[in-house]
Amino acid sequence: MTWSIIEPYLPDLWEGFVTTIWLSVLTLGAATPIALAIALARHLGPRWLSVVLGIFVNLVRLLPALIVLYLVFYGSPQLGVRFQPLTAAAIGLIAMGAAYMSEDIRGGLAAVPQGPLTAAAAIGLSRTHTIRRILLPIALPLTIPPYMTRAIIMVKGTSLASLVSVSDLTAEATRASSITYQPYAFVVIAGALYLAINGVLAIVQILAERHFRRRYRMAL
Amino acid sequence: MPALLKGALVTLQLTGAALLLATPLGVVLALLRSAPSATVRGTVAGLSWIFRGIPPLLLLFFSFFGLPILGLTLDPMAAAILAMTAYTSFYFAEAFASGLRSVPPGQWQAAAALGLSPGRTLIRIILPQTIPAALPPYISHATEVLKGTALAAAVAVPELTSAARKVFVVNYRPLEVLIVAAAIYAVMDGLLVVLQIMGERWSARRRGRG
Repeated sequence: MTWSIIEPYLPDLWEGFVTTIWLSVLTLGAATPIALAIALARHLGPRWLSVVLGIFVNLVRLLPALIVLYLVFYGSPQLGVRFQPLTAAAIGLIAMGAAYMSEDIRGGLAAVPQGPLTAAAAIGLSRTHTIRRILLPIALPLTIPPYMTRAIIMVKGTSLASLVSVSDLTAEATRASSITYQPYAFVVIAGALYLAINGVLAIVQILAERHFRRRYRMAL
Repeated sequence: MPALLKGALVTLQLTGAALLLATPLGVVLALLRSAPSATVRGTVAGLSWIFRGIPPLLLLFFSFFGLPILGLTLDPMAAAILAMTAYTSFYFAEAFASGLRSVPPGQWQAAAALGLSPGRTLIRIILPQTIPAALPPYISHATEVLKGTALAAAVAVPELTSAARKVFVVNYRPLEVLIVAAAIYAVMDGLLVVLQIMGERWSARRRGRG
């Protein structure tokens, strides 16, 4: 295998890489606030809401991601909406991500001791104030390790988009392989690029943990 | 419907084979992570980083399309089992390693003082205490394996997801077919969760007696 075989496909791989990053940013960026809202609603909201959300979260968590993507991509036209592959992949991945992340955040919320909350109520802090200034600052640092683990899993999960015909990194790598009969090279390059994205996330995790440790002087 | 059930059977076979291979491998990798040699520890940590950092779909493509170049051609089923085993063993190793860490090191020393061989210590003293701690993460990874077998559809293994796809491509009713497939997955996942509850109860009872 030589460089001359790989070289013509580098622009395609690069485009796939950019699509993968875009899809990752989109899913992480949209899933995080939704997950936070679900977790807060289940933790503090009325009972019926927490039951409904609980059913949604656990239903999604029971299914393979590929089935969820297929449901959105192939199932939606039957309901009268037709999504672009990228949109369908993003919707499916956001739903999956939000469900899993909400559980990670809920774990952090449940770990907050009652004391500070009782104290906040005693000094007359309002409910929203307590959530914003007491509950979240204690809970969020606790959720960073599981949250970042989930983020890495979600980045790897974007490779599924290739199966509903999104031209992401995995799709471009497999396409180049099947044209050149050189699977080894392209799959290794794609693997290295995924490792690079996840390496960046791992560094973000270390920085975030350090930031919170310094800011709240907590032992994480 | 019979096509879907046949697919579900293949899904179960894939899951079973991957779990059967990855579980002992995971135990070995977990033990190697606390090996005396730094080279061994480093190698295992490096491999773990690579295998857990690459999308499983890519590993699957590699074992199906990539290995023939190295002179090893696998049929889709074998390639899928290989990729899932490689991926899962490292996750299992993490689960087992945290279980092993939960056993105080004093117990190794106590067993050595009593004259038990390291192998016997591991099997009779350490592993029985590791199992309760490792069970919940083990089962949740087993659920991931079950759901992950859906990826095998991409290399033409006739498991549940690809069976579903084949059906809806013919009858143009993707929504209904996929919902049935989803329900079958949910039932299989549910069985694993029941297994977890039974396992936890069993180990709690055993511990209570001991």
